[in-house]
Amino acid sequence: MSIKIHQLEHVYNQNTPFSHAALKGIDLEIPEGKVTAIIGQTGSGKSTLVQHLNGLLIPTAGTLDICGYHIQPLLKIKDVKQLRKEVGLVFQFPEYQLFEETIEKDIAFGPKNFGVEEGEASQLVRDILPVVGLDESYLDRSPFELSGGQKRRVAIAGILVLDPKVLVLDEPTAGLDPQGAKEMMTLFMRLNREQNKTVLLVTHDMEHVMNYCDHVIVLDHGVVKQKSDVKTFFEHPEWIVNIGINPPSIIRLKMRLKEAGFDIPDEIIDEEGLLKCIKRQVKIHE
Amino acid sequence: MNNIALGRYMPLNSVVHRMDPRAKIMILLFLMIAVFIPAGVWGYVLLSLFILLALFLSKLQLSFALRAMKPMIWMMVFLLVINVLVIKTGTLWFELGWFSIYSDAIYQTLYIVVRLTLMIIMTTILTASTKPLDLTLGIEKLLKPFDKIGLPSHIIAMMISIALRFIPTLIEETQRIMNAQASRGVDMENGTIKEKVMAILSLIVPLFVSSFDRADQLANAMEARGYNPMQERTRYKVLKMTGIDYVGLLASIALLGLCVVLAVVL
Repeated sequence: MSIKIHQLEHVYNQNTPFSHAALKGIDLEIPEGKVTAIIGQTGSGKSTLVQHLNGLLIPTAGTLDICGYHIQPLLKIKDVKQLRKEVGLVFQFPEYQLFEETIEKDIAFGPKNFGVEEGEASQLVRDILPVVGLDESYLDRSPFELSGGQKRRVAIAGILVLDPKVLVLDEPTAGLDPQGAKEMMTLFMRLNREQNKTVLLVTHDMEHVMNYCDHVIVLDHGVVKQKSDVKTFFEHPEWIVNIGINPPSIIRLKMRLKEAGFDIPDEIIDEEGLLKCIKRQVKIHE
Repeated sequence: MNNIALGRYMPLNSVVHRMDPRAKIMILLFLMIAVFIPAGVWGYVLLSLFILLALFLSKLQLSFALRAMKPMIWMMVFLLVINVLVIKTGTLWFELGWFSIYSDAIYQTLYIVVRLTLMIIMTTILTASTKPLDLTLGIEKLLKPFDKIGLPSHIIAMMISIALRFIPTLIEETQRIMNAQASRGVDMENGTIKEKVMAILSLIVPLFVSSFDRADQLANAMEARGYNPMQERTRYKVLKMTGIDYVGLLASIALLGLCVVLAVVL
């Protein structure tokens, strides 16, 4: 089932002098089993939007249908607690949420909160470790003695262990080196492909959007500025430039070539196509 | 979390906002002393009038100042209960079996409530009308004379300004970790005692870890810029007392004097 968002609005500190409308009427449908990128500048409402998806925030107006839950204003947090098992939300720098003495306990923390028995939880932990690329030797170690990248894997395992149907990732690769970032993205892509999880990716990295995502949603000052599939999106580089985001390098190269007088059709957005196009035109000139 | 009124700066343009932080701190100090002088009903009426005038001049809403009181209400109720149970002097007002209320218990509580309310309102006026950095600058300048007896005024001011600087950061961080743990099924409000302890632990430990990290980074950043607490430093902003500051100071000293006189006469 896809995620349907209808006229969603969120106002922080409503009815106070600090009142601030973060989302102003969002209409979206996020397809199931796909990877959707949510992009936008700081303060565009991305974080506010994703916090609605697992019921951390309740809309001040509008509705949201997700995993069989119908979320509308004035809903009590209690009523949506189980939704958090269905929608796994990985915050930016999730390594800061680790707190237990051992990695096993920390990963088992989520399942136990949702009423899973000790023994079963411990089995779930053993099952999830290889998914994030760690082995059983880590179980009894303290999460605080790991490196940054490993800590993040443990934190993400703490969410994955709940086996959510929808995985929402807020800048999951921030602060990782290129190799680590690539491994992290590969992990999410595998979860999407093999377990058919719906993945939502909040990111600033256009390379990731281009390489890994199926759909793109652009938020700007609390409204949806653009929604399309990735291919159409990158065929219109002016959309990206207009919202103040740097396009991926291949698109930048294409824009430069066009400026220099090359004639490149809109639909070419990959390395190979671009190369062929250049070769052909150079040949004509010779 | 965003509703904390205590200590929040309100960017308004008023006479009180423009006053010298040193003058404001001194006025607060005089008034604090005055609040604790047992000057009877009239003393408190005068003080209340003065503080309300300051509130009016600062263009702050009374409701804003009163919101800072919210966390205190339980303490006041607790105080009332204790006083009613303990103080058995004055005239008897109410009796039901073993339970009795005496006038002194009510008066005592009332005095404490009035004192607390006045103190909270004046402190709120100070913090809401003075930027935290100006406030610490004021404190530093006021502590300057004590340098001679070995009190490191600059270090104290730096400590206060760092603490103030990190309050919003910590609030934000707390909110962030609470959200992250809530996503793992933590319920901060409901649950058994054991679950609640776990919930709080899952908040406190990460908060400590990241605070220590931050402190470490800040120390490095300061050292990298050559910060030396023993060095004499110059300021971009130089404080200057103006007419209104002297008027405020004189008025508060007069009020303090009046309270002393009232207390002695009564």
